[in-house]
Amino acid sequence: MRDGIVVTGMGVVSPANPDGDIGRFWSALCAGESAVGPIRSFDASAYPVRVAAEIDRGAFGGGPSGGDPVFGMARRAFRGALANARLGGGEEDPRRTGVVVGTVLGGILSGERYLKEDVAGKGRSGALARYPLRAIAASLARDAAARGPVLTVSTACASGTDAIGIACRRIASGAADRVVAGGVDVFCEFSFSGFCALKALSPDKVRPFSRNRAGLALGEGAAFLVLERETLACRRGADVMGRVAGYASRADGVHLTAPDREGRGLAAAVEAALRDGGCRPGEIDYVNAHGTGTPYNDWMETKALKTALGERARAVPISSIKGVLGHAFGAAGAMEAAVCLLSLRRGVIPPTANFEEPDPDCDLDYVPNRAREANVRTALSLSAGFGGQNAVLLLRRGGS
Amino acid sequence: MTVPVRIRAVGTASCEGDAGPGARSPFEARLSSPLAELARGGARVRLFCPPEEAAFLAAWDALAASGVSVPVDRDAVGLALGLDEGIDGIKARHSAAVSSEGPLGASPVWFPLTAPNTIAAQLSIALGLRGESHTVCGGTLSGAQAIGIAVQSIRERRHAGMLAGGATWVEAVLLDALARLGRPDGGPPRCAACLLVLVPGGGNDAGAPEVAGYGEAFGDGEIAAAAAAALDDAGLAPEGIGSILIAGAPDPGEAIERLRGAGLSVRAVVSPSARLHSASFPFAVAEAAGGAVVSPPGPVLVVGADCLGGAAAAVVTGGRR
Repeated sequence: MRDGIVVTGMGVVSPANPDGDIGRFWSALCAGESAVGPIRSFDASAYPVRVAAEIDRGAFGGGPSGGDPVFGMARRAFRGALANARLGGGEEDPRRTGVVVGTVLGGILSGERYLKEDVAGKGRSGALARYPLRAIAASLARDAAARGPVLTVSTACASGTDAIGIACRRIASGAADRVVAGGVDVFCEFSFSGFCALKALSPDKVRPFSRNRAGLALGEGAAFLVLERETLACRRGADVMGRVAGYASRADGVHLTAPDREGRGLAAAVEAALRDGGCRPGEIDYVNAHGTGTPYNDWMETKALKTALGERARAVPISSIKGVLGHAFGAAGAMEAAVCLLSLRRGVIPPTANFEEPDPDCDLDYVPNRAREANVRTALSLSAGFGGQNAVLLLRRGGS
Repeated sequence: MTVPVRIRAVGTASCEGDAGPGARSPFEARLSSPLAELARGGARVRLFCPPEEAAFLAAWDALAASGVSVPVDRDAVGLALGLDEGIDGIKARHSAAVSSEGPLGASPVWFPLTAPNTIAAQLSIALGLRGESHTVCGGTLSGAQAIGIAVQSIRERRHAGMLAGGATWVEAVLLDALARLGRPDGGPPRCAACLLVLVPGGGNDAGAPEVAGYGEAFGDGEIAAAAAAALDDAGLAPEGIGSILIAGAPDPGEAIERLRGAGLSVRAVVSPSARLHSASFPFAVAEAAGGAVVSPPGPVLVVGADCLGGAAAAVVTGGRR
């Protein structure tokens, strides 16, 4: 990353804060209040697992006659980010403003609705028009009157992180001055059934890095960051929350669903992100881990951090927020980048919730169960996804 | 000084006709040799559906033509793949199975294929690609945006090479959906993939095919803005363009009119690959690089637009004539 790229706004919608209140989001994370509970959005009684971290559908018009909640979640987080950045007054050059959205499922609820109605002979093209993954980015871009680069990235659970990274590259290339980037995904039976078939879900709580961890819980939500060229942000007197100092993506090239057992791809992504940002491992004050709570991911991630950070891995605090929010797929990486920025700003590291038993194979400092005050100047946000996707952001406090 | 982005090689694969579940793979004959070669090296590669097979064949041929031996097994080569509509049938079948059979309808083998990045993952696994890996879902612009990402990675010297392009699988379920949306496709079921190997230029390769500029813009009718951005990126004035190739657009006639209005008055043709959705733009870039647009000579402006808004353009120079 050669040009200064700063974050001037954020918006997050999650099961902990369906109204988009960032304070409520942060409080829930620091208190370790799990949002995982009984599934309400469909009948899960036939499934071996019946919990998830859901947002009340009613909040986004997702009732029987309402619209697709994924658009409502995305819009609320997106507008929240713009308001947080004090943008939207029409002073920005629309041709220099872009949108990048990370998502795995897009308008899948609309697609399913179309298919079910089609079977009954009543297929509605309205539902069909909301189904494509890129429909969300298109909708948000029109909302913001953005006419610059508008992209949809889909790299499994790394989608949100990759969306932010690609947005930064677009600014660095000169194609845009400002890009709103992040991710969104909705909880649905489509993905829940698949993860049940893969036997990847915990029957109750998510316990990242804990010896008795039993799998992940699916979640949902949206998170967006306003990324700006630093000189422009300073010129308009924007409040700079942090800077994106580095980004990298690497592929495992090993398996469609399981991570590389040695964490080589994730380690390579961490190393590349550090190089990109001109940062040494000793400078890292906090790592927000992917930390899904599955046996293999958490073990792999521990190995990857030891490989990439060397001795620093044993000293740096590492935490996962998925014990509170579940796994929000395309939104997860963007939520976690927001958490890193909040840590940089507030000098607090949120805990890894539900940490019950130390695991000798996961023997680093995971900030178990209680938030910790810390002077966080530089943070790493890690994401790993199906297909061996690995993406890492390097975030620093303030501007240059 | 901007690093030139050379088009070192191109790989393609395509077929027409229904290649749905239970049908014999249209690429079976072509796959036997590369899969056998990988097996001799100890790799077990299993491809599940036509767009995976097409993308694999395109990648295999492009890397071979580039002189890159596989498996690459290092992060020297990255991947950017455009894919959007190519897995709609797989998603529809998963959804229908769960709807009718409940939990038992979900397959641990097929469910991962409902994720758009699975094809990129399969290429990474089969070919040992461990560099960056991006999957972009931009409708008709998917392949274009993948190329745009790859161009920037090459310019920033993040990798020695980038494999970039797009894949599509237009099944009956998509054709039916497009008709219901009032945008009938009019073509048969088809599957295709086109991947380019992009490398930093230098040394003695001046005059080799190159992506000299890339640009994009969002909004209805922004094709002229995308073209202007690509020309600006290439350091060219509109008068410097020799011809225009329309990669795919909801209304090619309107696209040409808008380009004329922006001072681009040269001959414009619609690419024969325009109906290949996510793969259309890479195919058109390959056509431009291969000298498909013959006369008059000069840089080719490849443009595309998507029905949900958005346009992209690339300036291709050095094509063989």
